[in-house]
Amino acid sequence: MTGSAEAEVEYHGSVGVVTLTGEVDIVQASQLRERLLGAVRNEDLGLVVDLTRASYIDSVGVSLLFELAEKLTERQLRLAVVLPDGGLVGRVLGIVNLGSVAEVHPSVDDALASIRAA
Amino acid sequence: MKSRITSERLQDLQSITDAALAYLPLEGLLDELLTRVIGIIGADTSAILLLEDDDTTLVPRAAKGLEEEVERGIRIPVGRGFAGRVAASRRPVRILNVAQADIYNPILREKGLASLLGVPLIVEGNVVGVWHVGTLTERAFDDEDVELLQRAADRAALAISSRLTERERGLADALQRSLMPRLPELPAVSLAGRYLPAAAERLGGDWYDAFSLQDGRLGMAIGDVVGRGFHAAAIMGQLRSGLRAYALDGAAPSDVLSRLSGLLRQLEPGRTATVIYLVVDPHGGGLVIASAGHPPPLVHKPGEEPRLLELPGSVPLGAARHARYEDVLMVLEPGSMLVLYTDGFIERRDESLDDSLQRLMTTVAEGEEDLEHLGDTLVDVLLPDGPGNDDAALLMARAMPLSEVLVARFPAEIESIPGLRRLLGRWLDEAGATRRDIDDLTLAAAEAAANAIEHAYGLAPGIVELHATTDDDTVTVEISDFGNWRPPRGTHRGRGLLLMEGLTDDVEVVRTGEGTTVELKRRIGDEEAA
Repeated sequence: MTGSAEAEVEYHGSVGVVTLTGEVDIVQASQLRERLLGAVRNEDLGLVVDLTRASYIDSVGVSLLFELAEKLTERQLRLAVVLPDGGLVGRVLGIVNLGSVAEVHPSVDDALASIRAA
Repeated sequence: MKSRITSERLQDLQSITDAALAYLPLEGLLDELLTRVIGIIGADTSAILLLEDDDTTLVPRAAKGLEEEVERGIRIPVGRGFAGRVAASRRPVRILNVAQADIYNPILREKGLASLLGVPLIVEGNVVGVWHVGTLTERAFDDEDVELLQRAADRAALAISSRLTERERGLADALQRSLMPRLPELPAVSLAGRYLPAAAERLGGDWYDAFSLQDGRLGMAIGDVVGRGFHAAAIMGQLRSGLRAYALDGAAPSDVLSRLSGLLRQLEPGRTATVIYLVVDPHGGGLVIASAGHPPPLVHKPGEEPRLLELPGSVPLGAARHARYEDVLMVLEPGSMLVLYTDGFIERRDESLDDSLQRLMTTVAEGEEDLEHLGDTLVDVLLPDGPGNDDAALLMARAMPLSEVLVARFPAEIESIPGLRRLLGRWLDEAGATRRDIDDLTLAAAEAAANAIEHAYGLAPGIVELHATTDDDTVTVEISDFGNWRPPRGTHRGRGLLLMEGLTDDVEVVRTGEGTTVELKRRIGDEEAA
């Protein structure tokens, strides 16, 4: 029995939105990493990662988000993360202080608006 | 028949069974006998063939001048060709000219043998094999030759036969031991098995088996191949493997049995076997069972009388061309026990079947908690005089209530982590944890397990142990490894510890010479916890 995770990418103009579904964990990390890093195009302003449909994230998943933030910062792009109100994923990302490297928003629309406004 | 053997040759004959031979192992004994007979008779070749215990096939076991016969593993049907005729007629057979005779074994011609003489090896009126000598030039074996070889054969037969029985017993023990499985250790089901060989003939066709399936459920089987001896045991070994293979494919019990019946008919038409195969979910208790003509299993719910599980009537494996079996669904409730057995356990000469079954049920009802003890008691009560004429097998399973102490062991591999989380989640749910308690504790435990997997063992295989207990409203979860930690590398491992601390009330890491244990504590059941 293994968990499963999906990463769907959509582009809203010059911002990519990756929706992560399922369990963002040590078992799924390597395939998700490829999808996430591959979602950033050269001409983009930034990337939105929507975690409202993720049920689980562990330290390997967390590291993936930190790595993504670092790579985007190097290219002067911005990372915005959409988190549900409450729930395990929100608690985990609070404990590791994801806010120190990425913007955190309650909805994809808020995240998109924030990146475009900058 | 009046002996016409010269005194000189008669003296030689003594050498066939002299005391020095008594200490040789079977192979050495056969070699020595062959050499001596070649000398006495003045032949070029000599070979001993022994009858398989299905009584239909002769297999060359030792040869001089005809070594290829043994090396090639030739099998000669009784009644066919030269040696087959000797065994079937139980009389000496002489062949003057091999080229013109009915010969089954091509090696005899290939070696250029001209003449042959064969006699049966007989013990207590039963043919156990054939001994033949041959010459490269044509020779008319006379009556004295026949009598000499027959006398040698009579003297040797007993020694061969007893040596053979002894050796096959040794092999049988080894075979039977190697076929009895190491039962899986599961947190939710305890298992115990017993196998007792038959008293006289230590080979039988009974077996039991239990194994984990890929979806985390447990497969259990018990079976009885009709017949005895090495051959029945060998068929048993093949059926056991076949059952596991079909079961690991994920087939339903009824389907596993139909396929196994087809396999048995192919392996040996006419042979039958009775089998029960079942699949049980250790965490939910759901059970699917199918029987092929096997005695009904016994179910014992705590606080109730044990009862026999009525399963739909069915034919043994191998008995019908397209056998179909039926799945029965039931639930093995926490604390309930299932007892599978073969008829060797309940068939006694001095007692009716009903009386034996009653004794089985009474003993289970008085049941000891510990399955290993219960197994010993059942053997004592049901087979008080030791093994009977038939071998006997017993397999017991008890569904453990998960809510007490949880102990589970996993291979130290990343792929174990989701299963570990789910098992702990179910246990926490039964222990009264809230959704949030479960989420946080299972994640913390998964982090601890990932640490152990990545840092305790390097590339060598290892084990991660999960242990969980409750004390009032505090849960303690321990994740242990038995390796040597190297310091965690990389930032995500640092975050792992951060998460464990953030999601529980207390984290302790205890390192000893035997390994490392991470202890996680958390108060559970508080719905209002922010």
